[in-house]
Amino acid sequence: MDFTYKKPEALTDVRTHYCPGCGHGIAHTLIAEVVDALKIRKRTIGVAPVGCSVLAYFYMNFDVTEAAHGRTPSVATGIKRVLPDRIVFSYQGDGDLAAIGTAETIHTANRGENITVVFMNNAVYGMTGGQMAPTSLIGQKTATSPNGRDPETMGPPIRMCELLNTLDRPYHIERVAIDGPDGVRKVRKALFTAFKAQVEGKGYSFIEVLSPCPVYQRLSPVDALRFVGKEMAAYFPVRVFRKEGTIINA
Amino acid sequence: MAKRVLMNGNDAIGEGAIRAGCDAYYGYPITPQNELTAYMATHMPEHRRIFIQAESEIAAINMVFGTVAAGKRAMTSSSSPGISLKQEGISFLAGAELPGVIVNVQRGGPGLGNIAPSQADYFQATKGGGHGDYHQIVLAPNSVQEMHDLTIKAFGLAEKYRNPVMILTDGRLGQMMEPLTLYTGRPPVMPPKDWAVNGARNRSPNFIRSLYLVEGELEALNIKLQKKYARIRKDEILWEDRLTRDCDVLLVAYGTSARIAKGALTVAREAGIRAGLIRPITLWPFPHTAIAKAAERAKGILVVEMSSGQMLEDVKMSVNGQVPVFFEGRMGGGVPLTSTILKRIKTIARIKKRR
Amino acid sequence: MLERILITGSGGQGVILIGKILATLAVKSIPHITFFPSYGAEVRGGTSACQVILSSKEIASPLSEVFDTIVCMNQEGADQFCRQMTKQSLVIVNTSLCKKPIVRSNILQMDATRLADGLGDTRVANFIMLGAYLAAKPVVSPLQAEKGIRELLAGKNMSLIDLNIKAFRTGLKS
Repeated sequence: MDFTYKKPEALTDVRTHYCPGCGHGIAHTLIAEVVDALKIRKRTIGVAPVGCSVLAYFYMNFDVTEAAHGRTPSVATGIKRVLPDRIVFSYQGDGDLAAIGTAETIHTANRGENITVVFMNNAVYGMTGGQMAPTSLIGQKTATSPNGRDPETMGPPIRMCELLNTLDRPYHIERVAIDGPDGVRKVRKALFTAFKAQVEGKGYSFIEVLSPCPVYQRLSPVDALRFVGKEMAAYFPVRVFRKEGTIINA
Repeated sequence: MAKRVLMNGNDAIGEGAIRAGCDAYYGYPITPQNELTAYMATHMPEHRRIFIQAESEIAAINMVFGTVAAGKRAMTSSSSPGISLKQEGISFLAGAELPGVIVNVQRGGPGLGNIAPSQADYFQATKGGGHGDYHQIVLAPNSVQEMHDLTIKAFGLAEKYRNPVMILTDGRLGQMMEPLTLYTGRPPVMPPKDWAVNGARNRSPNFIRSLYLVEGELEALNIKLQKKYARIRKDEILWEDRLTRDCDVLLVAYGTSARIAKGALTVAREAGIRAGLIRPITLWPFPHTAIAKAAERAKGILVVEMSSGQMLEDVKMSVNGQVPVFFEGRMGGGVPLTSTILKRIKTIARIKKRR
Repeated sequence: MLERILITGSGGQGVILIGKILATLAVKSIPHITFFPSYGAEVRGGTSACQVILSSKEIASPLSEVFDTIVCMNQEGADQFCRQMTKQSLVIVNTSLCKKPIVRSNILQMDATRLADGLGDTRVANFIMLGAYLAAKPVVSPLQAEKGIRELLAGKNMSLIDLNIKAFRTGLKS
């Protein structure tokens, strides 16, 4: 796959509301590049979550619908089942996907819906003001874990790729990280694999993107990238878990 | 006699949805609506339509959201506790101005309640249910035939107004079997859905949302919604009028209660008491004017419900204190008896005329 | 006409089935019909009952407080429902399972379960009772009924259909 470094057609030419150093803008661009590369812009439908990326429909130059918090994969299911030739993806944060919407996440994967789920894991709730996420690291200080996440009372962070990898139906499961230029290229490659799988009718694909949130990770943009690449990746291994329907051992 | 089949109310709704061109049905098991989910599981695939048993009522209503956002027809059904779970989704449908058909086969509550028939979800259905200033259209069948016919109507109304429509019924109507003449017409035809998210081919992208953060935008949406609700109030109110022209006692009841009230009405008339009945078929919008008119020369109104008196408030609002309004109801799955209603009718008939 | 029928028995005896069949058979000729099932909380066993109302006039409620005919397939059902009748009501009892005597003039006693055993399958006692009912009250002509039953059971195993018809005829003749 060759990518030309220009504004993708699948991205609108507006300034985003994302904070400096946020991973969402990067992920949006990568998705748009993949959509362009696969020439599917006119048949792509995105499902935006509740969370920081709730306004994603302003930035995507293709059809997008909102969904209630956590119900993103159900809405995607409802679209894909009646329009099987369209390319449907859900774009979800950690609160949306791994807390309030855990049931929908698991059952959509278990049915093997032919959709793509993009899971933006930045270990914190952004839009509501930096609360503890299901994926916040042990000891991580947030508005609702002021003394750091204590696994004894709050449970340890949930590893979603590993959890979904116990199911039979997913076709592709992969965790990648926005932690620098090389990481970004790998994110794009993973997204390409996932969207291509859907175009080919292979089934459910799940891409977890470890992502910086300098504001609520309470770090500078550069340190946030380091946090993603080192601390988050230490707990959430960056690798392919499922390839062409087959479990890949670490 | 036209060709009739014997069917229960739940199946009649299912067959109505299929004949109305429902593309997808999403359900979750709960008594007393399980026949409907099972009917759809069998028959939707036969018509190459979509059936999914969702992981929850919440997932089911959001699958409906996806399907109607994509411009197709969808329905979900449940019973009272499950309908509570769907309220968020219904509010989102209303906010995003999406059609969608929701069936509530009511059971006794609150809480897990029981599986007996009830009408205790009237407030939830007609006064909002979910958050925000919105209304859903609420249709209340009182026979297996109406379960079928109003389902077809529901799909038409939902798309005409881009608004959720609820069929509010109960376990008795759901499980009762009656002869039914099946709809053989075409599914309702509606204008093209140029707003749907179905791929931005030969047009600029569409987006569907209920989030409006810019100052004034959400108020503008609400004003638009209220204008739509005013149009619905003007054009879509339905009710059945039985012998109200000369009535001294006006009965007001819907659904199963209306069936019982009709029985009492017949006996009262045979006994020479001038009783009449208004049966609201749309519970929202509510036939306020029809009730006020029918009550003009009545000595009193008797509202019959399987609740503590919920529609009662709308009836009182209709007559605004001009006519005394009485109530006969049962709660927690109880169904009013014909004999009790008759006794109340006789008492009201003895009231001295006001004018 | 107005005919209010209650059919009661144990879950698994097929009382709901014959109620549904009776209501379905009546669709062609009787303008107003309701059928209403009631089950115990148990999925198997327990008392199950159904009500069928056949009427030339609109039916207000599918549930009646009194019945013109009560069909009792077991003792519990008989105990529970036999109060809901008038002097004219017809009671049809399955004497194989209802041992307590019911004292009244308008009674039809059928040794249905034993007769069904004789036919080779205890489960067809319900069709014997249906036959007995239609012999006593031909709300649907027995000939039409037999044709209808065959249609309704179409798709089932042929020998089973024949057995049910045989049971129906046994009830009809008694």
